[in-house]
Amino acid sequence: MDFCGKQVKADCEQLLKRFQRTQSVRFEIFARIWREMKFSQIFYGTVNHEKRKFSRLILDVASVFFLPPFSFQIRVGGLYLLYSLYQCQNASPSEQIRLALKDWVDVKTFEKDAIEAQHFDVVYILQQLMFCKAFHFTATPSLLTYNKKRKVERSPMHENFMERVSRPQELVNIELLEEMDNVHQHYENLKASTLSLTSAQQDPSVSLIRKNLVPQLRSTVVDFYNWQKRKDSVDEEEDSSEGPSSQQECSKRAGLLASIKSKAYGQAAEVSKSRRHRQVEVDFTSNEAPTLGRSRITKPSLKARTSENLHISGNLPVTTKNTTFPDLKHFTPVPALCAIPGLVLKKHAETGCI
Amino acid sequence: MAASEQTTDANTNVPEYEYPDVNTKPFHIGSFKKEWLSRLKPSDYSYEEADEDAFHANFAREMGVSAETMAELKAVCSVDSLRCHPEDQQPDTEVVPPDPTLRTLVQRKERQDHRASLKKIKKNRHDLYADELERLTIGRKPETVTDMVPEGEIILTINVYYPAVFDKFNYIRPHMTLLMTGSHSLAELRDAVCCVSDLQVCGEFSNTPDVAPEFISKDHYKSAFFFFEGVFYNDMRFPECQDISSTTIEWAKSHNFPSYSQAKMEDTLLEDLKVKVGFPYLYCHQGDCEHLVIITDVRLAHKNDCLDKNLYPLLTHKHRVLTQKCAVCHVFIGRWYTTNDQFAPSDPCLFCDKCFRMLHYDAQGNKLGEFLAYPYVDRGAFN
Repeated sequence: MDFCGKQVKADCEQLLKRFQRTQSVRFEIFARIWREMKFSQIFYGTVNHEKRKFSRLILDVASVFFLPPFSFQIRVGGLYLLYSLYQCQNASPSEQIRLALKDWVDVKTFEKDAIEAQHFDVVYILQQLMFCKAFHFTATPSLLTYNKKRKVERSPMHENFMERVSRPQELVNIELLEEMDNVHQHYENLKASTLSLTSAQQDPSVSLIRKNLVPQLRSTVVDFYNWQKRKDSVDEEEDSSEGPSSQQECSKRAGLLASIKSKAYGQAAEVSKSRRHRQVEVDFTSNEAPTLGRSRITKPSLKARTSENLHISGNLPVTTKNTTFPDLKHFTPVPALCAIPGLVLKKHAETGCI
Repeated sequence: MAASEQTTDANTNVPEYEYPDVNTKPFHIGSFKKEWLSRLKPSDYSYEEADEDAFHANFAREMGVSAETMAELKAVCSVDSLRCHPEDQQPDTEVVPPDPTLRTLVQRKERQDHRASLKKIKKNRHDLYADELERLTIGRKPETVTDMVPEGEIILTINVYYPAVFDKFNYIRPHMTLLMTGSHSLAELRDAVCCVSDLQVCGEFSNTPDVAPEFISKDHYKSAFFFFEGVFYNDMRFPECQDISSTTIEWAKSHNFPSYSQAKMEDTLLEDLKVKVGFPYLYCHQGDCEHLVIITDVRLAHKNDCLDKNLYPLLTHKHRVLTQKCAVCHVFIGRWYTTNDQFAPSDPCLFCDKCFRMLHYDAQGNKLGEFLAYPYVDRGAFN
């Protein structure tokens, strides 16, 4: 059944994309899209033991969207998708949704978020799934057969489904800045007092730290946040629609502060590289340089390369050019001259005979 | 996300990927079961059907919603709201609907149309076998409660691969899949693995064809071992069993490899193992018949599983191989392999038991002519 994995994934993404566009987490809306796309039909046409295999496949594909790192709205969509697929499958007895032990915490936090935000339909459907024992409690999200993948393909769609990165903002919050400021001041004072004791005035070897560390950190984080916002508005109107209440808090905090340093960011948000380039003043993670360089050096076409090479050989001294060409002229015609006259003669002879 | 981080280091029995989507880090299966059971309510993994009204009442109470809201919620979230066809006409779910838009369906329709266009409709033998196996295994309930797989029991899915001795097997990975519970021992797993090398009969039996079946390898060479995470689990159930792993262990010792330890297969339950899920391990029997063993899945038992304890280890998939047929009748699978045979059309030649005896022996069972006969076990003997 591996052969239709890609198509199934594309269909699920299509459904979730439409759901994302509605900026809603209501099941009603999801069900409307489901009906519009006639998604129940996805199970039609499978026979006998294929049914079970296909149910397994599609549930595995869909359960990815129910888990982080996707945004809250996509995860709700993923949950609805799982519920709908589970209820509509034609395998009997039904195939279960696999839930790995390590993901349990995420599901519980998700449920808590949904309860806090009073999304009753989300909670209801999750509990309904629990109630009808739709889950297999497993060790891993899918069956593992030591299938090493040559290359991991990442869907571009997935980036749109992800939440804006807020780790830097969470890490560098106001308490941390205050704390750092305090420590910094304390250190400065201590240094000043020791210096006054030894009476060595302003020795440059002692001032090893940045003076305005805290304001600098703060401004970079704010820069980062602003850049993120700009990027989002360019990227197309993105999520930030309905979410758990905690997310709004997050963005409030984010409004105050943010940071760039976190390496995780570099991997998670893959902006189109050209745009990243434009944002150099904000975006200066060290691992940026090689990717940037690679993307910019595109290999020229074969034609271009050939003409370039020719151009180089054209720079050779004129004398060699002149000598090679006559040589060639002399060489090539000779065999031709040998071959053709004989043929011509023969033809002549034939016609002569007749 | 932050919450998942704090549990990982503290608890090594929560399976984590070693390589994403390839295999996990090693974890103890029994403790893994405890981890799940500690997180779940007994009702979550019980086989009983719970009362739906109670669920709704409970939900309303916990969320603090009124009866009207509850009714509305039920209506909105009902399965009916997902129906894609008019209520009064039931669609044919066996065929792909015309003009599909979903990409999966477009692809499936192409395949279906292609199949329909074929002149000869072939029913795939493998599909038939798979259908039959599914009928035999899915959702079987025991007759008595004592035979029931207990609630919260671990079910492991184990793939045992055939040794890669045929060229064909370099491109596909033929295997059998077994479902076992955590309370099974490794010896039970060994007995459930069917491999033709266990049935091999060594020797020439043209003079005494009737005694041949009594000499199968399984009864002669009983030693075997599993190798999981640096431990050799030897089969020591019978007095004639030898520790065939000792050679390897001593060799490893003399070559400065990390040391391996030994244990007994029959004393080790599957839930005592500490293994990686998805990682290839080894099963070796008959001296050099080596199978890869991969535990592909570990999970709690579910009410839709086969719950009859007696049916475990449960075979859920088996690769069928082509069988070599008798050179005379072309119907039955070859049982005898003859050489220097004056009656045979070729040398060597395969015969089924019936043809072999009709051709090579008279009515009294006396050998006719000169030939050498060896019992032959087809590699598809377990089909």
